[in-house]
Amino acid sequence: MAAAVETDLQPRYIDVDRQVQRAMAPGGLTYWLWVLFCAFLTALGIGFWTNQVYKGLGVTGLTEPTMWAPYITNFVFWVGIAHSGTLISAILFLFRTRWRTAIYRCAETMTVFAVATAGLFPLIHLGRLWFFYFVVPYPNERYLQPDFRSPLVWDFFAIGTYLTISTVFLFTGLIPDCANAREVATGWRKTLYSIFSFGWQGTDRQWRNFQMVYLLLAGFATPLVLSVHSVVSWDFAMTQLPGWHSTIFAPYFVAGAIFSGCALVLTLIIPIRKFWRLEDVVTIWHLDNLAKIVLFTSLIITYSYSVESFMVWYSQDPLELATFHQRYFGPQGYFFWIMVVCNCVIPLLLFSPRVRTNTVWLFIISIFVNIGMWLERFVIIAGSLATNTMPSQWRFYTPHVTEIVITAASFGWFLMNFSLFAKFMPIVSMTEMKEGISWLRQAVRTRYPYRKAA
Amino acid sequence: MSEGLSRRSFIKLAATAGAAAALPGCEPAARKIIPYVVPDENVIPGVPTFYATTCNECRAGCGIVAKVREGRVIKLEGNPADPISQGSICARGQAALQGLYNPDRLATPMTRRADGSLQEISWEEAIHQFNARLQSAAQSGKNRIAFIGSSQGPALDNITRLWLQTWGSERLVFWERIGEEAARAAAQACFGRRDLPIYRFDLAEAIVSFGADFLETWGSPVEYARQYAEFRRPKLRNGTLSIGKCAYISPRLGTTGARADRWVQAYPGTEGLVAMGVLNAIVNQGWFARDTEIDLGALKEFVSGYDPHSVSEAAGIPVEVVTSLASWLGQSNSALAVAGGDDLQTYIAAYLLNAVTGNLGRTLVFLEDSPPEALTPPQDAAEVVQSIHDGQVDVAIVAGGANPAYSMPAAWNVAAALKRVPFLIWMGEVPDDSAQAAHLLIPTHHPLETWRDSHPRAGVHQVGQPVMQPVFDSRPLHDILIQSAHLAGGTAGQQIPWENSADAVNAAWQQLQSKLAPDTNPTEFWSQALRTGGAYQEAQARKVTLDQAILRRKLQFRSAAPENLMLAAFPHIFLYDGRGADKPWLQEIPEPVTQIVWDTWIEMHPETARQIGLKQNYDTRYLYAGINVVEVSTPNGSFEAAVHITPLVRPGVLAVPIGQGHSAYGRYAKDRGVNLWAFLPEASRSVPVQVRLTEKRYMLTTPLGNSDMMGRSVIEAMSLEELTAGKQPEVEREAQEEMPSGPYEMYDPIRYPGYKWGMTIDVNACTGCSACVAACYAENNLAIVGKERVQEGHIMSWLRIERFIPSPEEAHKAPNLYLAPILCQHCDHAPCEPVCPVFASVHTREGLNAQIYNRCIGTRFCENNCPYKVRRFNWFAPEWPEPMHLQLNPDVTVRGAGVMEKCTFCIQRITAAEIDARTEGRELKDGEVITACAQACPTRAITFGNLNDHNSAMVKRRVENKPRAYTMLPQLNALPQITYLRSIYHTTENL
Repeated sequence: MAAAVETDLQPRYIDVDRQVQRAMAPGGLTYWLWVLFCAFLTALGIGFWTNQVYKGLGVTGLTEPTMWAPYITNFVFWVGIAHSGTLISAILFLFRTRWRTAIYRCAETMTVFAVATAGLFPLIHLGRLWFFYFVVPYPNERYLQPDFRSPLVWDFFAIGTYLTISTVFLFTGLIPDCANAREVATGWRKTLYSIFSFGWQGTDRQWRNFQMVYLLLAGFATPLVLSVHSVVSWDFAMTQLPGWHSTIFAPYFVAGAIFSGCALVLTLIIPIRKFWRLEDVVTIWHLDNLAKIVLFTSLIITYSYSVESFMVWYSQDPLELATFHQRYFGPQGYFFWIMVVCNCVIPLLLFSPRVRTNTVWLFIISIFVNIGMWLERFVIIAGSLATNTMPSQWRFYTPHVTEIVITAASFGWFLMNFSLFAKFMPIVSMTEMKEGISWLRQAVRTRYPYRKAA
Repeated sequence: MSEGLSRRSFIKLAATAGAAAALPGCEPAARKIIPYVVPDENVIPGVPTFYATTCNECRAGCGIVAKVREGRVIKLEGNPADPISQGSICARGQAALQGLYNPDRLATPMTRRADGSLQEISWEEAIHQFNARLQSAAQSGKNRIAFIGSSQGPALDNITRLWLQTWGSERLVFWERIGEEAARAAAQACFGRRDLPIYRFDLAEAIVSFGADFLETWGSPVEYARQYAEFRRPKLRNGTLSIGKCAYISPRLGTTGARADRWVQAYPGTEGLVAMGVLNAIVNQGWFARDTEIDLGALKEFVSGYDPHSVSEAAGIPVEVVTSLASWLGQSNSALAVAGGDDLQTYIAAYLLNAVTGNLGRTLVFLEDSPPEALTPPQDAAEVVQSIHDGQVDVAIVAGGANPAYSMPAAWNVAAALKRVPFLIWMGEVPDDSAQAAHLLIPTHHPLETWRDSHPRAGVHQVGQPVMQPVFDSRPLHDILIQSAHLAGGTAGQQIPWENSADAVNAAWQQLQSKLAPDTNPTEFWSQALRTGGAYQEAQARKVTLDQAILRRKLQFRSAAPENLMLAAFPHIFLYDGRGADKPWLQEIPEPVTQIVWDTWIEMHPETARQIGLKQNYDTRYLYAGINVVEVSTPNGSFEAAVHITPLVRPGVLAVPIGQGHSAYGRYAKDRGVNLWAFLPEASRSVPVQVRLTEKRYMLTTPLGNSDMMGRSVIEAMSLEELTAGKQPEVEREAQEEMPSGPYEMYDPIRYPGYKWGMTIDVNACTGCSACVAACYAENNLAIVGKERVQEGHIMSWLRIERFIPSPEEAHKAPNLYLAPILCQHCDHAPCEPVCPVFASVHTREGLNAQIYNRCIGTRFCENNCPYKVRRFNWFAPEWPEPMHLQLNPDVTVRGAGVMEKCTFCIQRITAAEIDARTEGRELKDGEVITACAQACPTRAITFGNLNDHNSAMVKRRVENKPRAYTMLPQLNALPQITYLRSIYHTTENL
């Protein structure tokens, strides 16, 4: 990937269409093997989940008092992943940021499937899955409603809203592109694109309405970027558990979410760009900008870690001090230090423009960031529970095969969905690319002169 | 207690379809739902019946009450009328139910085929074989039959004795490994009578225990714990507020040492020597009582060889300890020295200490009309075993859970003897180690299914009645014996005029009536006894004098410190001598001091561990209790077990619990741990050993995380001075300093117009005996999960005895160990409630923090937010192997997989009492509702009651002990409804 060839720095409108449509061409053997592999992981996870539902949660390594560990970690991780998608597609849209055009579809797709993956985990972790609907406020003969004081109910609404809005947003943006694809597609694909283009004719009125709806949806989605992960963070901050009970959690979680999400966008878009030869459309300029967000949020995260620790020291609350001492130096302290290296140290490499414009480096760093962010949630969730207020009840979590498989399956499930969507839907917005094509030419030409040599 | 239930109506009751319906082992058709087509007037569905009977789990003789629902016993409680139990029983007593419902009980008679396998046979066939074998043995001469059983009370023992006589044999053993021989022989030597005295711990001001773990297994633990709580209760003595002082001399701390002021870590086997050193100091200081008629010259001569210096050197303790214990015993108004173990000389020394200090007849009392000795002295038992070895016995019968193959001394080689005997008959409940060689196995009734009586001490006559229909197709042991004796016929056979054991017990009580209460109507006397569990009378103290000859006796003590490591075996507080091992409650409740479950472990001091090359440091944070396996070589062979490194044992000593290591005895006991009896000498529980560290790993399991309280307010203690000054102990927690004095709330407090339930727990009275834990398991249908799942953190106990070890820095101003029951605190601001998304965790109008199982979806958020970590999650669906499910309390839901559960303050008991009160149109009275834990507590450390009633005993207790009152983790402002009362300790300077 390092030798990415910047063949044509002046894509024309027709090149955008061609390149994106080429990405949508029927997949080869490698592609289908990859999808099959992801599907296999998913199936394996479903199998283990079934076993867990049948036998009970005891098949996992969950323990008294570490009642939440990998499942809720996965939940927070995937919800966090989702956020950068909305940031890129909605907030950057409102700010009229030009470089979002090439990556926003990919990020938004990621959002939808990440939320869909995240949404599974509150179900997977339930002791009695078959009564999950008790958290839904539905009319019933006993006048029983969920307890709106519980952050888990807030979660339910936050995630539900988020999934709805981001799905609508994604499919709204797809309309003109699907219409475009419809024109060249044949067979069942034509039917598919016809459905998702919702009768798009490209009339002036349609364009005007489209723009307005898109803007409104972006406006709807924008607060969700901040609110959803704040609500998720309140699952923890609203309790009195040392290590969870902290007012910094909401901004800290949101920053972390953007951080991990942008990293995952990098992880996803770099191979896509490479394998489906979208280098002219998704240029190094886009990646560079993403990397800058990653770097910036990494600095916020580092600051948050410092403030969190400082406040514990400053409060001198013995309960908090003990928990944090365990977090740093306890039996599972290495998780914390790996996390610090992944989240705070490695992203510092992104200060170098050479690293930011090198796809291999970016890819590797993005993987580390995701490992670090997964561990961050794990350290907070499992570690704090293990070192709770009752010293006699301290017990650390050790994973069993069920959670490991289900966690792997969540990646399989996500990647399978994402890969299928990316293959069958335009993964880069042709419409918006064309809108900003002159910008793109200029940006690449002026900012990356040294790349011309290639 | 039940009113007006006669034997007649009991039998009528037992014969009904209703009672039989719940019983497996009867014909399958009767196992269906209770039909009640013809309702039985004695069984009201949903209303429990109570039967008074006696506990047979140890020799203490606690009177108990069995709660019976729809024909099956579901709970055992102490009999309030009984002077020994006074309404409480220990964990072992509670677990007798699991002996009754044990799934591994022998279901039918069996015979052993030539190839060693067992074959079911009919009862007729079994009885026929039994008698035929006896007949042929009796024909070939006298004394060809040996019977090894356990004592079952005077009436039944009498049957056994007469039965064996009819068959022309006198080889009779009533076996008990943790026996009375040393105590009786010492009493004989000192006072000229082989009686057992009674002890009055409550009347003493100072207690010195020479190896007697009286709060664990020694003597009568329920009674002694109750007395000890009184002894430790702060009260005015000579105008100053004080608590009794107690020293415990033993290489291992134990709960007795945990509750003592002073743990004297003498080498095992030197307890008697220390006692002699103390005696020497008392005599030389002139602290002996003036009014005793002891020959002073002889006494001085007697103790001359035991000056405190040489004694303390040999025992490995500081010399000041010996002299200060002497001043405790010699200078207190009343004091008590007690001896434990199997060593005669320790008992003699302790009796002498009491006699010399004038406490004989005060804290150590011999009674008139003490019951005759029931157990066979070990030397006589050894003779019988020897006769089996010598081939003089044709038929040996092992019965009543005596299990000689397990518990008889290794030197006797009983297993080989039992293999040698031509025909071995085993009669009992769960086939144990001794049943493995048996040719004929006969299932007998559990004591709770049998008519019995018991006479544990002068003035206490108890009657044991069957509390339910037999669970299995078993028969009463003594019915079989009576029938057999009748078959033998002859003159001796006519001595057994009774048809069955019920008649025999009844007849014995008619005799008793003519003796105790000749004026009363015999029928009335009998039914009164059934109702109250027995006949109780004040016993007369007998004046005894010291036999001066004892002072000329030469005692032999080891005079130097041992060179080797010493192994000190101790009876496990729950498994006792091994008989508890088949009861899963007793296996799963953590041993209070080590908190280890389901195992045999080796307690080793960190120093000793270093010596043998064990690198693992003493660190409380590891989640297993021990992992390194060592090989211990004793003169009787070697065994392997994992090491538990703990400061609660003397350096150079390996403390190992007795009770595991059964080769049979049901699924819960089989092949688990080590049988220590196999390695111990005959009359001692310590032995020099060599230890070798192996490479093997074996995980000891504990539900306990950290043993260090980390300065948190979980279990608190205060010194006597602080209590006298009436001030709260200094709190080192800075976070608490800025706490407002009262509760602070953002909203108006919620009012509880009716009842508001709360609890006061006196940590000072708690001995860690875990009776409350066992009671909770029994009352609330708590599931047993087994060792592997305890290791996973899946233990289900709603109530746990929490144990913390004071750090070395704070040891001088802390009790030896922090022990207290921790259960749901039923917080007013319950942190578990607002986080539940579905209102499964809710507050009731009576201030209870309730958990609605049907509503729970298992998010486990409540446990995450519970500061006390008292909630338990059903990781799997709980299982009870048949017929253990019969024990389940029908008033308490059995929880399914995936729901959270926790302490309910026994809401079923509250509701039942409230319904009763409402039916009668009145308010609940204080004390009418009592939770299972409070009911079981031998020391009455737990008081339950209505917070809105300012005159309730519970509220009064916390008000009257205000300086001692605290709540756990107050900085969280969860407002727990349980107030704890601090434990009181003597600072080291004041001892």
